[in-house]
Amino acid sequence: MTTSNAPPAVQLEGITKRFGDVVANDEVDLTLEQGSIHALLGENGSGKTTLMSVLYGLYDQNEGTITVNGEEQTFNSPRDAMSVGVGMIHQHFQLVEPMTVLQNIILGHEPTENGLIDESVARDEIEDICSRYGFSIDEELDTQIRDLDLGDRQRVEIVKTLYRGAEILIFDEPTAVLTPQEVEGLIDLLNDLADAGHSMIFISHKLDEALTAADDITVLRDGESVGTVKAADTTEQDLARMMVGREVMFDRQSREPTSGEPVLEANEVHVRDDRDIEKVSGVDLTVRSGEILGIAGVQGNGQTELVEGCTGLRSLESGSVRFAGEDVTEMSRRQRIEEGIAYIPEDRQTEGLVQDYSLVRNALLGNQTIEPYVNDGVIDWTAVREHAEDIIEEFNVRPPNADAEAASLSGGNQQKFIVGREIGHDPDLIFASHPTRGVDIGSIEFIHNRLLELRENGLAIVVVSSKLEEIQKLSDRIAVMYEGEFIDIVDPDNVTEEQLGLLMAGQRLENEGELSEQESKGGAQA
Amino acid sequence: MSSADSSGARTVLDRAADRMLDAGVLERVGIAIASTTLALLIGLGIVAMSGYNPALFANQLIIGAIGSEAAMARTLRLSTLFILTGVAVAVAFRAGVFNIGVQGQFIVGGIATVMPIVWLAPLLPSGPIGGVTLIVIGTTSGIIAGGLYAALPGALKAYAGANEIITTIMLNFIAIGIVGWLVMGWFQDPNAPSTRTEQLPEYVGFPQIVFSSSSFSIIGLGITIAVVILVAIVIERTGFGYDMVTSGHQQSAATYSGVDAKRTIVATMTFSGMVAGLAGAIFVIMITGNFTNPDGISTYGFDAIAVSLLAANNPIGVIPAGLLFGGLDSAGSHIQIHSDVPAQMIDGIVGLVVLFVAAPELFRMAAARTGLGGDDR
Repeated sequence: MTTSNAPPAVQLEGITKRFGDVVANDEVDLTLEQGSIHALLGENGSGKTTLMSVLYGLYDQNEGTITVNGEEQTFNSPRDAMSVGVGMIHQHFQLVEPMTVLQNIILGHEPTENGLIDESVARDEIEDICSRYGFSIDEELDTQIRDLDLGDRQRVEIVKTLYRGAEILIFDEPTAVLTPQEVEGLIDLLNDLADAGHSMIFISHKLDEALTAADDITVLRDGESVGTVKAADTTEQDLARMMVGREVMFDRQSREPTSGEPVLEANEVHVRDDRDIEKVSGVDLTVRSGEILGIAGVQGNGQTELVEGCTGLRSLESGSVRFAGEDVTEMSRRQRIEEGIAYIPEDRQTEGLVQDYSLVRNALLGNQTIEPYVNDGVIDWTAVREHAEDIIEEFNVRPPNADAEAASLSGGNQQKFIVGREIGHDPDLIFASHPTRGVDIGSIEFIHNRLLELRENGLAIVVVSSKLEEIQKLSDRIAVMYEGEFIDIVDPDNVTEEQLGLLMAGQRLENEGELSEQESKGGAQA
Repeated sequence: MSSADSSGARTVLDRAADRMLDAGVLERVGIAIASTTLALLIGLGIVAMSGYNPALFANQLIIGAIGSEAAMARTLRLSTLFILTGVAVAVAFRAGVFNIGVQGQFIVGGIATVMPIVWLAPLLPSGPIGGVTLIVIGTTSGIIAGGLYAALPGALKAYAGANEIITTIMLNFIAIGIVGWLVMGWFQDPNAPSTRTEQLPEYVGFPQIVFSSSSFSIIGLGITIAVVILVAIVIERTGFGYDMVTSGHQQSAATYSGVDAKRTIVATMTFSGMVAGLAGAIFVIMITGNFTNPDGISTYGFDAIAVSLLAANNPIGVIPAGLLFGGLDSAGSHIQIHSDVPAQMIDGIVGLVVLFVAAPELFRMAAARTGLGGDDR
């Protein structure tokens, strides 16, 4: 789509952005060609989001120039950026939860007639956008945002940005919350948008996505640009080396199955969600000591509710949960924490951390009744602080400052802190929902190795993830969840990503249909 | 560019918000003192513009607040009530629960303190031992009654989803009505010329140590300060306090960490109401010695909301905020008698102080909510 005579959609030259003494961007150049997709790749804290925030008018750069469609621009606010067609889809969605999809999309740009909002005009326009790019959210226009899953919320964000007339779209880690199928859908969508003449930059730390989706890839490391390459001319290994500055191991190591004692046994579990819809319909599962059970599935097929049911955050409709031989079905969340069930939550922003607490105060979250942090109801802040500092050191949380507010940390560092805290409970059973979502490669490796280590130490671990390579790398067995049931339980050494993808889409594997049927009926017995 | 103005304004706001968010405790105290001074100066300006002598007014203000032993006692007496009721409000606000019913809990606590003492006094020996015993019994009863009366809207919120702002306001009226009916119809002292309960026995009261005032004792203030410190310790140093405050900050994270949201709401309201009930107990034991028709009792429980706001809902901060309120209120009643400046002027100045001191705090809260001034990198 690139034409030789049209100026680039965006040209950033020598962008430098400092926060106090910290140089977040150091003389970064980036050229976004018309109608192309440009990946901005880098680890957490490498300055990707800062650079895009400069382009989007959220930050003033200290040095450097921004040129859009050949004209130099000064952006004082996102409104300025929007006025020349630059829009951003944020990683943490900027949506008002109690408002409907339609209201969110038109927020701030409401079509009015005689001073009243004219929803029918908006509705037509949104439906037009949806049909043009193949979105399905037009069926949900009157649903409140809080009732949508994260994938749908993202589509609302994209439609919102298009609705405001953006030609140049910036995506901040768009795939962080998506399932593999949704990622594919998103990549198709990006291509459609590019064909329609939109130019896009997407921030990512996932190599495969950058390679599949982008035309050009710029790699940032420690705030500096390592270089820009054509996606067609590079490999995953090359990109990883550029990002991390060293070689990274990706492969699964095969290992012996365990024959430990069952730690978690769930029987005929049924769970309803907040809308009173049954999301888990009769799941049986057993996880043994020294075993990692991976739960794969397209988001919204009941994984969240299953985990919440087992960790005590949601009561079961029927069925039972046993932990270490004891029936914990009626136990409160707090009792289950005390018993040794840890949970790395799906949503670190709203559940895993109190955003305006320091890391010290956050280190106490979930430990309110655990010695030595709290003795007879009295908090020992010195012990809590030491705990926070230990987590920060062991998990290389940046900035290494226990008094920093949780909200000031990047997503990956928040996640490392949560993982460290939950492992610190000294649990016998860990539920890890998307343990490396939004985390950079180096940290993913670290978190994976810690989970594998804990498995060696005899813990029972349940990993829920939408990243298939993660599930395959970590799991001893993979349960695939579809519409509230385990459609199959498979051996990660003998299953391909394609087969997993089919299972996640609800199709049973033909050639081993009988076997898997039996297995799923008999629950997860290794 | 049409948006240049608004974005310029945003930059200014953003910078101001940055400063506010970064301000430390000392800076915030400094801001509060500067705001108070500024509000008083503007108040004096208004006094001058209304044709009164501002110098005389300022003089009367100081004399009325701290100018004599009687004034000091009056200031501290009022401050004691403002501090206790202020802490009751602050506790709930910190947990994200809006207890607007402190006045009702205060009234219920007051009557629940008086009556057991009146009933039990004939059964116990008079003198210090009986006095202390009766005070302990009465105060305990007042605290329990206040707590229970607050637990009611707490339970309504937790288990029936009733908005606590509305229920607590309604329960204020109910408290005034029912207690008024009880005082007039059942507990009326037959020998009293006015509507009130029997008088507490002479020996049930706090001894005078510093000020020779019949309605203020340093012991009452001492108990109050001790309660403030206790509340601060509960909030900062106990698992229960952490649960409560975390619920106020981020409910979903609290639930994740094992906090039972419903039980915490009820517990928070009960805790808040207990402090309000204690304020009622101190009110009758230290000040009135009886209970009158609650319709006529000053609205300490409502002023407490402003006191708490002034203190940014920090229990320790409620002490200076309560003292300021006590001083201004005390000065107001002095000025009303000793000058021709209308007492409403004082109320106006109190309003200015609240506005000036609370505004930066409100701005902080708003800035934190809207993401102004944050480095959301």
